[in-house]
Amino acid sequence: MPGSHDLKSPALAFRAVTAGYRNRPVLRGVEFEIAEGEFVSVIGPNGSGKSTMLKSATGLIRPDQGRVELFGREVGALKPRERASLIGVVPQRLESPMAFTVGEIVMFGMSASRDRWGSPGPKELDSVERAMIYTNVLDLKDRLFNELSAGEQQRTALAMALVQEPRIIMLDESIAHLDINHSQEVLRILMNINRQERVTVLLVSHDLNLAAQIADRLLLLESGRLVRNGSPGEVMEQELLSRVYGCELRVRHDPYGGHPVVTGALDSLLRRAPLRKRLHVIGGGGSGIELFRRLLIEGFEVTAGVLNRLDSDAEAARALDIPCVLEQPFSAVGSAAYEEALLMVAGADGVIIGPVPFGSGNVVNLELAAEALRAGKPVWMASGIGSRDYTADRAAAHAAERLNNGGAVEWSGIHELMARLERDVMNPQT
Amino acid sequence: MKAALFLAAVPLLLGISMLLGPSGIGLPDSSTISGQAILSLRFGRFFMGLMVGAALSASGTVFQAILRNPLAEPYVLGVSGGAGLGAALSILVGGGILGVAGLPLTAFVFAVITLMAVYGIASQGGGAPSVYSLILSGVIISAICSSVIMFLVSTADFEGMHTVVWWMLGNLQPGTLQEQLVSLAFIAAAIGALWMLAPALNVLTLGREMAHYQGLNADVVIKSSLLLATLLAATAVSMGGMIGFVGLIVPHVMRMLFGPDHRWLIPASAVGGGTFLVLCDAIARSVMAPVEIPVGVVTALCGGPFFLIILRRKMTHAWIA
Repeated sequence: MPGSHDLKSPALAFRAVTAGYRNRPVLRGVEFEIAEGEFVSVIGPNGSGKSTMLKSATGLIRPDQGRVELFGREVGALKPRERASLIGVVPQRLESPMAFTVGEIVMFGMSASRDRWGSPGPKELDSVERAMIYTNVLDLKDRLFNELSAGEQQRTALAMALVQEPRIIMLDESIAHLDINHSQEVLRILMNINRQERVTVLLVSHDLNLAAQIADRLLLLESGRLVRNGSPGEVMEQELLSRVYGCELRVRHDPYGGHPVVTGALDSLLRRAPLRKRLHVIGGGGSGIELFRRLLIEGFEVTAGVLNRLDSDAEAARALDIPCVLEQPFSAVGSAAYEEALLMVAGADGVIIGPVPFGSGNVVNLELAAEALRAGKPVWMASGIGSRDYTADRAAAHAAERLNNGGAVEWSGIHELMARLERDVMNPQT
Repeated sequence: MKAALFLAAVPLLLGISMLLGPSGIGLPDSSTISGQAILSLRFGRFFMGLMVGAALSASGTVFQAILRNPLAEPYVLGVSGGAGLGAALSILVGGGILGVAGLPLTAFVFAVITLMAVYGIASQGGGAPSVYSLILSGVIISAICSSVIMFLVSTADFEGMHTVVWWMLGNLQPGTLQEQLVSLAFIAAAIGALWMLAPALNVLTLGREMAHYQGLNADVVIKSSLLLATLLAATAVSMGGMIGFVGLIVPHVMRMLFGPDHRWLIPASAVGGGTFLVLCDAIARSVMAPVEIPVGVVTALCGGPFFLIILRRKMTHAWIA
């Protein structure tokens, strides 16, 4: 057993870690512990801080705040060789610009444990050979590393990490390049050393289903924060994942293994007949652009207004061919425009109020929604109008209250709105 | 086999270069005074060539390993240009309190500043700089340095101007014994220290992060070896002026012969570089005898095409052996 680490301490602990690059924090207040022998997977969308977490765990970047501990000792205080005997990394991609052979590269895994000048002894050669047999690269021993396929290079990188004999192995999306038989093989090796030798494994992965299938525990990151830390069943929640990944996702349970399986919601879209539904959007100031985009992608017909000319929503509507009632720039909505918009609402199947600030100029748009409610059409209203009310007499807040009483549905966040539309408009029968 | 050929070729080539000179081909008659003088001149040039060549090519080897870039070399990176500026200043102003070490040390300080500037410009926008941005900023900084040297030369008195121009052309005319001993000490110490770092340099070719994961104090190794390689280049420049491409050609040829392991590559590059430069110098002083051409011209004529070949292959393949 290398090192004199404390076996009672967690193998890896993040204690309120805030870390990033050049004072731009990527991780914010991340806190968790991983016990020795656990198999943990870190998931999260691109840019959520997975790689930064890995770099902090290995001491490659120092946290701005908080502590990272390996077996109870702060990672920055470990001697480099000691650190390498505790934690090994299989990178996303290993690149060797120089013409080293596979055997030489795997031998680099011993850099920390042996005198780098002498030639390797029989015990060391055995260890190298064992790792190369495990990872199925022994045949490639004398081949040049940079002539190998991506999969062969990844297996070489794993062999190098195994030779290091660390107590924790971290993989940074390392199996993304592998085809299915090699990725299965690599995972089997990892699961084996995890069970037989109690090596802690930390797998950073884009593949949610793979993570849920093999990990004891999942850490879910969202914009640098740890938003869920628990068993696959606890983390793989439809609502949570849909929110974090910003798209419609479904979670089922695998009929054989019982583990949760996540899929995109494309299947429902594929089977759906054309919608032929029209929604009217009350937006402004850029609040409507994302609404337009999402509604059009789902297949809705969209109308908008009343907007001021030159407003960014008005520009977007023109670019997207969305019919739109326009008023002069920087002017209050006049009666002509209002009448025109009323006609538009009369032709729509519902009204969506975006997260737009209301002032005396555009508060009259809320009357459009009230008219829709009176005509028995649904209204979805972005919550928190009160905080965006810039009218002198809080007219918008009062109007919102009336809409609420009249049956308008409040939503916060585009994901929630789309889920409601999915349920109420797109697939009302289910 | 290749290694044996190399070992046999080294003394042979060194021997041949002793026979060449502006006074004619063959060993001079050592019984005459003029013959003895010619012999001692050739010996002086011989040792200068060995030292400068070894320093330049060991320096190039290390730059290529640390920057993971086949085109890295003190001349291309602008390090030689910076060292040249420092050396020119020192020649014109004098070494001051540093005495005989003043010339190489001033060259070193300027070379370090240049390297930091080149690297800083090339890595604008974060991350490791690309091959092309490094070369580009190296060329720019070199151009700035040489125009400052031109300015210094044009405002200097006649004697200073003569010394600087003569030195800038690249020539291996030996200085005083004291100067040579100081330079020898710098070069031997730096090559020795870099050789000690050879196993770490091997791991560093996989990149800074991998070296860190393998238990290396990567930043310390990177910084100290860059400084040592810069010291080598600066000392070579202060001894022999601007001699280009030795640090590019020799490491590549040595990698083809001995492989990429720096435990072999560093001593092989030093020996190979010394031999190459001694040979180039022998050609330079005998090909148009009795007129001598600067040795930098010969190395550039060999090195320029070589550089283009590597650049081409770098664009199609990743790296050549």
